[in-house]
Amino acid sequence: MNKISSIAVNTFRESVREKLLYIVILYGGILLLSTFILSPLSVGAAGGKIITDVGLAGISLLGVLTAIMVGSTLVHKEIEKKAVFMVMTRPVSRHEYLIGKFSGMVMALGLLMLIMTAVMAVMIFIGRGVPGAPVFLASYLSLLEMMVMSSIVIFFSTFTTPILTSFFSICIFVAGNLSGDLRAFAQKFGGAFVGYFMEVFYYLLPNLKVFNLRNEAVHDLRFSGSDIVLATIYAAIYCGAILYFAFLVFRRRDFS
Amino acid sequence: MPVERETLRVDAVRKTFRGELGMAPKEVLHGVSFEAHRGEILGFLGPNGTGKTTTIKIILGLMRPDSGCVTIFGKNAGDRMALSRLGYLPENPYFFPHLTLREFLHYCGSLSGIDSDLLGNRCDEMMTLTGLSESADRRLKGFSKGMTQRAGLAQAILHDPDLLILDEPFSGLDPLGRKMVRDIMLDLKKKGKTIFFSSHILPDMEALCDRTVIIRDGMVVRSVSMDEVFRMAGSGTEVIARGCSEDIIEGITDYIDRVASRGRETFLHVKKQEFLRTVIKHLYNNGADVLKVVPDQLSLEEIFIREISGDPREPGMKADHMSAVLPGGKEAHDE
Ligand SMILES: Nc1ncnc2c1ncn2[C@@H]1O[C@H](COP(=O)(O)OP(=O)(O)O)[C@@H](O)[C@H]1O
Ligand SMILES: [Mg+2]
Repeated sequence: MNKISSIAVNTFRESVREKLLYIVILYGGILLLSTFILSPLSVGAAGGKIITDVGLAGISLLGVLTAIMVGSTLVHKEIEKKAVFMVMTRPVSRHEYLIGKFSGMVMALGLLMLIMTAVMAVMIFIGRGVPGAPVFLASYLSLLEMMVMSSIVIFFSTFTTPILTSFFSICIFVAGNLSGDLRAFAQKFGGAFVGYFMEVFYYLLPNLKVFNLRNEAVHDLRFSGSDIVLATIYAAIYCGAILYFAFLVFRRRDFS
Repeated sequence: MPVERETLRVDAVRKTFRGELGMAPKEVLHGVSFEAHRGEILGFLGPNGTGKTTTIKIILGLMRPDSGCVTIFGKNAGDRMALSRLGYLPENPYFFPHLTLREFLHYCGSLSGIDSDLLGNRCDEMMTLTGLSESADRRLKGFSKGMTQRAGLAQAILHDPDLLILDEPFSGLDPLGRKMVRDIMLDLKKKGKTIFFSSHILPDMEALCDRTVIIRDGMVVRSVSMDEVFRMAGSGTEVIARGCSEDIIEGITDYIDRVASRGRETFLHVKKQEFLRTVIKHLYNNGADVLKVVPDQLSLEEIFIREISGDPREPGMKADHMSAVLPGGKEAHDE
């Protein structure tokens, strides 16, 4: 446990010291810019909605993109440059290493998303008043989505290059957002084989739709609390399973 | 209670690297075997690209051998217990550039399981020992090669390991740094630690090792103890004298196989150590001054060069190399 937290803290430090700050600045900049451009068109409640919409979409997208960007180089660089020797030649198991890396990455990205959420909340407050709970819950679900994507990124980076890792992860991100639609489409129009294929895909790919509460947040719609609990459980199980697969690959790996 | 004499044992280790796209697989280690005993400094000598680093990585469990095995303190390579008693300095080390030296050592120490109460002090000690105290709060990113090497040594000995494995510990160091590393190694040996280090630099080996394992093309071709080298070295001696006329030399030609002079000094190479007494006596009695007596040097180099020239896979030679592992192998090899 101690060792996992040491690895996590080191990973957190690395992520924060290297790039994450710029993402937050970028986010703040985009949000400010979009409100300046759009707010004269739609004052009052509509303006608030735009901020919420742009803000939440930005948090989700930047969270996932940063996860892919940081994560794809994180493990790979450490192996490539042999810094991993410093860890692997000490009494540290390979699963501790992976869990530590994952936790550190989630800590760093969590902090990033926390700051972005705070920036957004302040702007909503200025635009239309106190932001409602759905806004924060939507942001929380984006955090879960980012965690799922992080585990996938770590999985790929245990055996392939940063570029391929990024590529596969982005594919999975896109497919994961569409998988429900694709499955419905295949059930309607595809043959038996395509239907079966899509079914397998549907269960293999992360169903990222469950982490999307943006519509509800923007329009202040009702949402069910149990959905949020289920999404949390789903994320935990999915991350656990993917990290386990990453461990199976990593356990057999030679470091040269 | 039996004393744990054997610290490290490498037994018939083979390793093949998968070929890069379209290239044939390449067997790099063809059954490497040797052992290190408790409290000794064991050198691992061989030309570049012969598999020293690969062997070390297998010892550490960073790579798996195709066959053969490695035991450290009776445990398998990569075992947690074994790793906790082991310190490692990689070849051309690279550490976490975003950390300061202090943070780096803290990180390493906590991974080694050092008590957090003791860790701060221990890190300070190591930085003082390696002469890096002034760079404690600088990022590793800005470290020179020599500084990185020192930092590498600091992390390797941080947790007071019983077995130290150093891959080319002298590379990139200035003379002061080399002396520092040598002193640290000798000090650790005094404390009963075992040290295994690779190098292709002979003087380092000669100055430090109790024994040297010579590897060539992925095979251990010879293991020599320094006592043995010393004995061989004793077979000839050079006497440097002043005021040595032709007439004086005339009287001892039977004992000498080479004579050279430079300025007022004469260099007499005495065939065997037994003759030394006679030669020196003769010189004194005839009014010459003996300035220096120097035993034959670079004998490890001689052994090394002999071992690495010639094909170890030639059938006849191979058997020879095996016997050469035993003391007395020199004669066996000379024919
Ligand atoms: N990861 C690897 N893949 C393929 N070949 C390798 C790899 N690592 C080392 N080699 C080859 O193995 C041989 C031995 O390398 P190494 O153990 O680094 O030698 P040394 O440390 O004695 O200089 C070299 O020919 C090198 O090219
Ligand atoms: Mg090497």
